[in-house]
Amino acid sequence: MAERTLAEQLGGYLPVGIEALEEHERQDLADALRDARHRQAKALAEAGEEGLRYVPALLRGAVRKAVGL
Amino acid sequence: MTENYASRAEILKLARVLDVTPERLEYLARVDADDLRAFREQVTDRLFDANLTVLQRMALAARLIPAPVLAKIAEKVFGPLLCARIAGLVDVSRGVDVAKRLDPPFLASVAADLDPRRASAIIARIPLETVVAVANELARREDWITLGRFVGHLPDPTVRRSLDVVDDPGLLRIAFVLDDKSRIDHVMSLLPKGRLAGLITAAGADEQLWAPALDMLAHLGEARREAVRPLLDTLPGDLRDRAQATIK
Repeated sequence: MAERTLAEQLGGYLPVGIEALEEHERQDLADALRDARHRQAKALAEAGEEGLRYVPALLRGAVRKAVGL
Repeated sequence: MTENYASRAEILKLARVLDVTPERLEYLARVDADDLRAFREQVTDRLFDANLTVLQRMALAARLIPAPVLAKIAEKVFGPLLCARIAGLVDVSRGVDVAKRLDPPFLASVAADLDPRRASAIIARIPLETVVAVANELARREDWITLGRFVGHLPDPTVRRSLDVVDDPGLLRIAFVLDDKSRIDHVMSLLPKGRLAGLITAAGADEQLWAPALDMLAHLGEARREAVRPLLDTLPGDLRDRAQATIK
């Protein structure tokens, strides 16, 4: 799958000054944003899964259901 | 001149959001500061809105867990990033109840990942002593960007007490990255007498503080400019000339 451009990642609109950057500069911003999103998604997924282990056993089922696991 | 400083401050803040070095974004120095700010807010929203469904479910599930247990899980497992993302999604009273139970160093890390726009109701209700302890920790880490972000979201007495724990160079760096520069003059009004002179002295002693100091001067109101004029005589020649031109 083709990598999404900066504008695509941000919903289609870019401020004028960002739109006017050189293509390789916009690409650098797109890469930085994509990497930040990936890092965040990974960190959140790991923390959420690990957190369930610390929920008291009596509540675990209800919590699991609420989280949708 | 002011616009250039504003763009540099924006680059520092964007680099923080993206977790990259400011040097990597050097090419943004020629972009208008308002565009950079709009872009930073877009990026912040994109990151905060990603994974939103899962985070909302987690916030819902968090309501089932007693606050003391939740605080323990938050600190031991969730970590600052997840806590910062959920903070804007939980009930205010629940968020405050949990936040009060967290250690200041951990809260400082949460603050660094938080978008104050989304959690301002919680932030404003955290006890003064806790906020001061967090400010102290952030100052120790020299995390001026986070301190600057919160100045706009805390009541005046809290800002006053929090800035007491920040030294003069730190205060100049916070002013440099404030989101709302129109607040600089107001923030200065909260400082004790003599603090302004301390800021000028600090700027004169460190060339890296020249830009933050000149930027601060540019945002002072007329009354405070009047007060600062006699203080400029103590500055090194080059800085003195630029400072005088800034507030003339």
